[in-house]
Amino acid sequence: MASATSPSNFQKTRARLANYSEVVVLISFILLFIIFSLTADNFLSLLSLTNIVTLAAIKGIFVIGVAMLMISGEFDLSVGSTLAVGAYVFAILMEHGFVLGGTQILPPGLAFLALILALIVSALLGLINGLIVVRSGIPSFIATLGTMLAFRGIARAMGNSELAKTSGNADVVRFTGEAPPLFNVLNGDLNFINDLGTPAGGARMAIIWFVIVVVVAVIVMRFTRYGSWVYATGGNRMAALAQGVRTNRVLIWNFVITGALAGLAGVVQFASRPAIDPARGEGWELIAVAACVIGGIWLQGGYGTIIGAAIGMLLLQMVEQGLILAGVDIQLFQATIGLILIVAVISNTWLSRT
Amino acid sequence: MEQVAEKIGNDLFKDEQVIVDMQNVTKRFGTVEALRGVDFQVRKGEVRALMGDNGAGKSTLIKVLTGVHTPTSGKIIFDGEEVQINAPADARALGIETCYQDLALIPLMSIWRNFFLGRELVTNIGPIKWLQRQEMAKQCQESLLDIGIHIRSAEEKVGKMSGGERQSIAIGRAIHFGAKLLILDEPTSALSVKETNKVLDYIRAAKERGLPVIFITHNVNHIYQVSDSYTIIRQGQSVGTYMKGELTQQDIADLITGAREK
Repeated sequence: MASATSPSNFQKTRARLANYSEVVVLISFILLFIIFSLTADNFLSLLSLTNIVTLAAIKGIFVIGVAMLMISGEFDLSVGSTLAVGAYVFAILMEHGFVLGGTQILPPGLAFLALILALIVSALLGLINGLIVVRSGIPSFIATLGTMLAFRGIARAMGNSELAKTSGNADVVRFTGEAPPLFNVLNGDLNFINDLGTPAGGARMAIIWFVIVVVVAVIVMRFTRYGSWVYATGGNRMAALAQGVRTNRVLIWNFVITGALAGLAGVVQFASRPAIDPARGEGWELIAVAACVIGGIWLQGGYGTIIGAAIGMLLLQMVEQGLILAGVDIQLFQATIGLILIVAVISNTWLSRT
Repeated sequence: MEQVAEKIGNDLFKDEQVIVDMQNVTKRFGTVEALRGVDFQVRKGEVRALMGDNGAGKSTLIKVLTGVHTPTSGKIIFDGEEVQINAPADARALGIETCYQDLALIPLMSIWRNFFLGRELVTNIGPIKWLQRQEMAKQCQESLLDIGIHIRSAEEKVGKMSGGERQSIAIGRAIHFGAKLLILDEPTSALSVKETNKVLDYIRAAKERGLPVIFITHNVNHIYQVSDSYTIIRQGQSVGTYMKGELTQQDIADLITGAREK
């Protein structure tokens, strides 16, 4: 029996666990994994598991950017739209090159240049977000809600423009040429994994990119000054500012990084399914926020980890796949995610209460 | 009485003895005159209490000194030189460390990260500034121990510490980085008696190391324990500066509320 005066073992354990913001998402992940393993046919197959990881990895690339932003106390609801713009830039440059006023400025098929330009454009969209938030002082939730709509409009306009040479019902830009080697680097099959079973798995290079982004982000957040400043900016911005932390610079960089990662995710996705439509990435901004919050990042910032957000994204993708395989109506997916989100936030709050 | 004190301030202690000299400082917010020509002088090595009722202007005065507000008019001489303090960063560059209540620390971050925040020891490799984590944790622990603050681990989160311990981090930090003036804004207002005594000890420790302290407080008791002198502000003006023991506690209370004129 616990006495009233000294903390019980239970409370001590809780206090110890509270040092690790990933606890809730990790336990939830394991529990859900076990449940789906027992209830969903073929859930444990190589194809199913590699599909989960590959699909989670594509979104996970920008989830990491959103996670850094949320730790610094800000949101980016425009990632889905940024992803679409980035993918359109890449797709148009690959298929048509760059034509301005009837002159072919860039020939089609310059894969590497297309990649760089797509990343630059999406990073610039991130910069716009950052400048709006820092200069105007309005909440990033509102600012990026605005740019979410604006960037989506840009994506639609690009799909409809001279540049895209779309006709008829189009807006869809397809890459019809022969896939350059860069496509394999971006999102080719990982055959050393896929050949491990029959039917073959669906592991793709996106997983490698995701792992690289996670590892770099973890190192930056733990071992560099920038990481410390990100936590400080979200933890208590006035105090950070008073101690000489350049919080505005941190925020702008975080928005730029998030924009660039959204662009990268768009290009990676395009490399395996070379067609882009104006609705690409719609709703993903909320998936990203959900992944971060389930992963233990506080909405008000200052607390949480990259690893938590990464596990959060894997968990969401696993639930989607698991529900499909378990034969549950996919319409219930969002309801389930909503429920998990609420339970996770309550658990995280309970755990960190001191 | 005021004249006597000011004479002491102006004549006996020449510039090299004075760390900060604010002369005829005014601050207007629209039509509100928050400061109406305040003279405020702090000598090196002393603990000065700054007292006044809510809205008397003591916070505004300190915010002018720390760069949060720019004065409407007046002159600030810091360490013998006239200075313009337009931003908190300017104040900090001069060596003015401020510890606002709950505004100086990041509760969710570890002690050492807080201690070195904005002044991290880093190894530059290319454009990346790698934190010297162990070195900072070590220096932080040693530096706090030096003024009598024992912490279990510098990795612990500041949010888990008591109010007094948190103040100690901010005070220890000011001493470690060689501040020339430490400003504490109501450091004891939310603390238990025991915790308050600890904080008063840390203020003494700062003074022993020659660090002048401006100590904003409501509590007449506390100034009797650690302050060498006190300045009373009322309605945007300085009522006067007095040496410790010059007035009774009742006198001070009367001067703060204006129940008695100077």
